[in-house]
Amino acid sequence: MAEVKRKSGKPLQVNPHKLSQPMGATMAFLGVDRCMPLMHGAQGCASFAKVMFTRHFCEPIALQTTAVNDVIAVLDGGDYSIVESIKNIHGKLTPELIGLHTTGLTETKGDDIRGIAGKIDVPLVYVNTPDFKGGLESGWTLTTQALIDQLTEPGDRIDAQKMVLVPHVSLLPIEVEKLRELIESFGFTVVAVPDLSSSLDNHLGEKQASLSSGGVTVAELRQLADAAFVVTVGGSVKPVGATLQAKNPAIRHRHFNHVSGLEGTDALVAWLLEVSGREAPPAAVERWRKRLQDAMLDSHFSIGQTRFLLAAEPDHLAAMAASLREVGGQITLAIATVDSPILAEIDADQVIVGDLEDAENMSESYDLIIGNYHTESLAHRVGKKAVMRGIPNYEEVGSALKNDVLYEGSAYFLFEIANAAERMREAQVHHAREQIKRQGSGVRRAPD
Amino acid sequence: MSSKPKIKELLVESACEHNKDKKKSCNAPTPGATTGGCALDGAQIALFPFADAAHLIHGPMSCIGGAWETRLTPTSWSGRDLTQTGFATDITNNDVVFGGERKLAAAIDHIVSNYAPEAVFVYSTCVPALTGDDIDAVCKHRTEKHGIPCVPVHAPGFVGAKNLGSRIAGEAVLQHLIGTKEPEHTTPFDINLIGEHNNTGELWRYRHLLEELGIRVLSTFSGDGRIAEIRTAHRARLNVIVCAKSLVSMTRKMQERYGIPWISCSFYGMTDTSAGLLAIAEALGNADLIERTRALIAREEARLKAQLIPYREVFAGKKAVLNTGGNKAWSIASALQDLGIEVVATSVRKSTEEDKAKARQYLGETAILMTNPATQQAKVIDETGAHLLLAGGRSLYTAIKKRIAFTDVNQEKKKSYGGYDGLLVLAEDLKNSLQNPVFELVDRKAPWQK
Repeated sequence: MAEVKRKSGKPLQVNPHKLSQPMGATMAFLGVDRCMPLMHGAQGCASFAKVMFTRHFCEPIALQTTAVNDVIAVLDGGDYSIVESIKNIHGKLTPELIGLHTTGLTETKGDDIRGIAGKIDVPLVYVNTPDFKGGLESGWTLTTQALIDQLTEPGDRIDAQKMVLVPHVSLLPIEVEKLRELIESFGFTVVAVPDLSSSLDNHLGEKQASLSSGGVTVAELRQLADAAFVVTVGGSVKPVGATLQAKNPAIRHRHFNHVSGLEGTDALVAWLLEVSGREAPPAAVERWRKRLQDAMLDSHFSIGQTRFLLAAEPDHLAAMAASLREVGGQITLAIATVDSPILAEIDADQVIVGDLEDAENMSESYDLIIGNYHTESLAHRVGKKAVMRGIPNYEEVGSALKNDVLYEGSAYFLFEIANAAERMREAQVHHAREQIKRQGSGVRRAPD
Repeated sequence: MSSKPKIKELLVESACEHNKDKKKSCNAPTPGATTGGCALDGAQIALFPFADAAHLIHGPMSCIGGAWETRLTPTSWSGRDLTQTGFATDITNNDVVFGGERKLAAAIDHIVSNYAPEAVFVYSTCVPALTGDDIDAVCKHRTEKHGIPCVPVHAPGFVGAKNLGSRIAGEAVLQHLIGTKEPEHTTPFDINLIGEHNNTGELWRYRHLLEELGIRVLSTFSGDGRIAEIRTAHRARLNVIVCAKSLVSMTRKMQERYGIPWISCSFYGMTDTSAGLLAIAEALGNADLIERTRALIAREEARLKAQLIPYREVFAGKKAVLNTGGNKAWSIASALQDLGIEVVATSVRKSTEEDKAKARQYLGETAILMTNPATQQAKVIDETGAHLLLAGGRSLYTAIKKRIAFTDVNQEKKKSYGGYDGLLVLAEDLKNSLQNPVFELVDRKAPWQK
């Protein structure tokens, strides 16, 4: 494993791919059915997030703001703006839950949202997510913990067939659905927390959504404590296991850093066989494993000669790196948005916490880029190609339905990357030949 | 002296139509019922098009994370396009506790030595505004150290909405840049384009026409703009506000300080583009120029009308409902009318009194001005028999339910519909929408539905 450079040493971020902690909180609340995420900050805090998610998911995004202005910033401790917001939201809508999350502004002025939440008589979950700490992953995790901590009723009874699935923030809606289906195919019932698979999965809803339209229900959140297992996927959500166990110590916790590639999926399937007591998985699972094996062999030649820059959230980096490493992909540079213990486990030449300026300065070290929308222009500048993954992705439609995980998705992922690498090399070869042609004709024309 | 503008003054703009009836401020946000960006957002929109200047957000990632490299404001600047380069100090806990001034100064140094900008705009945000970082002092010191203007922009989000941020940006440029440099030469036909952001290249749809007439664009605020040019803006003969009421304060102050008169125009659609060109010529007050402008307008309109002939048949008898905000309520309507589409209703929910009056004037007495389009537009479509809905993405479902064609009016964020040639692009997009079977088909009953 590579040495991890955890501090950039720079006084600023240039071309950042890091996203803020309140944005992660918003996303988590969008995975709760009929929820109104309420960002406690200036109107722009919510607006920036809303515009980004709307463009990324190509869907209307439910998100409101307490619209803190200069007077409120000085005089109000949060009571007025939060209570007033909830009154105004309930004037038009009947959300099942208000998802109150803070920002740098309201944390700096020191609002006591816990105290205020105690005085409010509608269903509400609050979470402190200043944007001068953490990032997208921590906002998502803190919110998931808050949902469980504040809503789930303690218990001591266990339903042996019930599992709670906690995905990390970079798992896409369709990937959460595929994970759930796999676990269910072993005879379990699964509740994903949060669950973007039915809210932001690019489905045509019944009407224009003012609240989140899909996700885990508040009733389900209240009843989580009878699960036999809590399964966390991604280093960032590992602490959620203990949060749920605090509600019922009989719940068993199983953690996976990722569920990508052959080994990653094998680990999950092996565990599912063990806990379900079954001898063999469903036939479709077996079939997809064979297809992935074939995909690995078909793609290894292309991917094995490619040097990659991966730029993503830490858990997403770990997952993609694992898939690519299995077929010889050389991860010469992995750039994480924020620091995370999982970075030490990524098999790459260099792992740094940084920005896309760092990527630009190290462009000699890689051929193909995998990262968010902003890596597209990076690719143009440094003469490489980029494959879009992560948030935001403004240029492509259908990103909620990209599946890179388990046997099936890993096969798609390898094909897409191998094809992109080949096209990139073909373009380079073409370019080189054109150069030779031009030089050749120049030489021939010279004597005239 | 602090460079912080007086917010009250900016909110109560004497040259603003609606302030005649003693309204206190343009908008105080309602908690839990507010949409739209903050002052910082507005300031970014106003200034980011200066591609030869660095734009440094002194704040956490929320203030830039979703916003950089999202503005399609192209530039002809041959250096690195700094509009599309994100800079943020990424304030951490440490900076909140101990102050972020040293970090900010070091960030400016990093930018100057690595990107050689013509200026650095430093945007304050809510957190450093609360913790009290002295951005003015840092900027002043760095201006002296590096010999390029470091301009503080005091637009923390909590001071207000986008509109106010745009004014604050204007104020910063007025205070720190305009009048700090003399142009190499002047002409009697020098103008500034104020509020033209060159979104999707709209400026380039008509700038060549101005040049053909001998009208020189001395500077723009800020589309395809140059810092060196905006510094000379005080020598222009005329300020032209392009579809941006929020910058009236700026032009009024330039009139007071430098005696530059101002007019307001739109370059959206054929009628408005022609009217805009003529208004500029008339304001410059040269008989020969006016004559030549009329000739150019006649030539361009004839050319465009010929090119639009194939579309006439497609649009004949077609009715449209328009649901968009602000001046677009009438400027897009005008473009649609140029294409022979009848605009039967438009939204005036977010429009100023002046915009409402204009919408009425453009659409005629029988048209419906919707004050609450979200609830009204379905009914309006039924009543008017409209064939086309132009609106933001949220209204798509209404069109599908009513089985009429839909055009996302925010497509203009990707393609330019401005000027004469933009109308052809709009015509092509609308034709494609009207002829696309998807709106009729997508909501058909599933095989298992009765």
